[in-house]
Amino acid sequence: MLAIVAESLTKHFSDTIRAVDGIDLGIEEGQIFGFLGANGSGKTTTVRMLTTLLRPTAGRAEVLGLDVLRRPGDVRARIGVALQEAGLDDIQTGRELLTLQARLYGVPARDLRRRVDHLLEVVDLTEAADRRVKTYSGGMKRRLDLAAALVHGPRLVFLDEPTTGLDPISRDAIWRYVAELNRSDGVTFFLTTQYLEEADRLAHEVAIMDAGRIVAQGAPADLKASIGADVVTLRVEGGADELARAEAAVRRFEGIEDVRRLDDAIIVYVREGSSAIASLVLLLDQSGVRAREVTLARPTLDDVFLRKTGHHLGPHDGGRWDEAPAPASRHTERAR
Amino acid sequence: MIRAATVVWHLMLRALRETLRQPGVEIGNVFIPLFFFAVTVGAIGNVAGRAFGVTNYTGFQLPVVVLQAVAGASGTAGFGTVTDIERGYFDKLLLTPTPRIAIVLGRLIGDGVRVMALTALVVVVGLLVGSGMKTGVGGALMIIAMGGVFGLAYSGIGVALALRTGSAQAAQLGFLIFFPLVFLSPAFAPKEVFADWLEFMATINPVTYIIEGMRDLVLDGWDISSLAGAFASIAGLGMFTMLLVLGALRYRTA
Repeated sequence: MLAIVAESLTKHFSDTIRAVDGIDLGIEEGQIFGFLGANGSGKTTTVRMLTTLLRPTAGRAEVLGLDVLRRPGDVRARIGVALQEAGLDDIQTGRELLTLQARLYGVPARDLRRRVDHLLEVVDLTEAADRRVKTYSGGMKRRLDLAAALVHGPRLVFLDEPTTGLDPISRDAIWRYVAELNRSDGVTFFLTTQYLEEADRLAHEVAIMDAGRIVAQGAPADLKASIGADVVTLRVEGGADELARAEAAVRRFEGIEDVRRLDDAIIVYVREGSSAIASLVLLLDQSGVRAREVTLARPTLDDVFLRKTGHHLGPHDGGRWDEAPAPASRHTERAR
Repeated sequence: MIRAATVVWHLMLRALRETLRQPGVEIGNVFIPLFFFAVTVGAIGNVAGRAFGVTNYTGFQLPVVVLQAVAGASGTAGFGTVTDIERGYFDKLLLTPTPRIAIVLGRLIGDGVRVMALTALVVVVGLLVGSGMKTGVGGALMIIAMGGVFGLAYSGIGVALALRTGSAQAAQLGFLIFFPLVFLSPAFAPKEVFADWLEFMATINPVTYIIEGMRDLVLDGWDISSLAGAFASIAGLGMFTMLLVLGALRYRTA
């Protein structure tokens, strides 16, 4: 059964602001689905439409077989949601917040205490349960938010950038909870992220969102394989002229799949990259350009992102990266 | 229906918990009206008898102080809603299957209870400084109840502004609206001594009837028609502010 179906789902805030521009989704139950994109690509708007917080401009969506416009109350009763900013009440204690949340979802009184205690244990907050939320660290707040999303035992959970701004230890903890809940209880997760590593590590399937549209979708391994080539990154001595000459030179190389210029580097997608490196460097020499740095890597989701959108998902992305720094650099990807 | 009532109850308890954990907010809500009370009675009390025939000006002013405290405290309801919106907690509440109006009612009723406590405090202070209470304990309890329902109704303005704008500054406009309503009522002198235009404004001002209803309880005794006028004004105001709240809620969740 499909947990989420979207057909031509659209949200325009004005004629010029087309946050989501007609996307189609079909997400199987039991999956962790990664929704990958830069800030402003339309991820959060999509989540807000699927969770009934925002009315679509056009198109339709079903969540767990229920139309989000016709049966919003039933949809809300069956899903768990943790939005981008951990929406918590600082004045309450962690236990009070979870208890109230459980009551709002109609959890029977006889199960309430056991359920809250269990969730506090799952997210390692038992000791801090009776402290006010305002004393919690960012990681603790995120974990509490995750627990609040799970308090009524939903089959489908939306997590909107659950680890943005978290330190590596807290991030790892969130990843473990998500993977474990998916494995042990079969909970479906719709996870938006701007972290490639997060999508690569957790998601069974990812969709890449750019400027309100889905530009690629599939299993991470399949998407990477779809590049069909190794990735050679070339940096040369000199300035823009040398870079232009280098690009022209490598384009003459046979067996090349694609060439992209990104800042001070030329990204070459080429079959059998290890044997192609020597020839590429030779071509540069013949063009009067000296190679400063040459690296070879297997394709990553970042490369998929670059191929599909024309820009990296990261700090070099023309200033679009305006939140926490990426935890996954290209080097991290290569090392995997 | 029972589930909705249960949800409203728990959200009301949460609103009250918020008040108990931030008592400093309420100090201003009580202090400022009591300060005005002292200054107004000190300035006018001695001449009120000769000027417009009011011998017990402390009792005459008590309802005004009650309403000032209530209106100030009601502004906090809008502020609480803005805080929930800014923190993202309001979205979290909207994401539950709770009827959306129950989310707002929980806060409004919590505010009504909070305001009743503040009203009780103001009434006690009034009695201590010599306002008297012609209708005794029953009358005092009636004033406290009127303060509570007026607070519930008046909170709707701040909550509606909070829902519509998400702005703390806008939410506090609810309190500012109260000032012209007070000055266009017989708050400081009986209507009979007003200029014609002011007397007309006072006649169409619902706050006039609430003040007069309370004032009769303090100074004159039980008067059913006066009480009916006060409760009708509060009900009218409540219906108006509830429409504002529903419209703002619809806007925020569209």
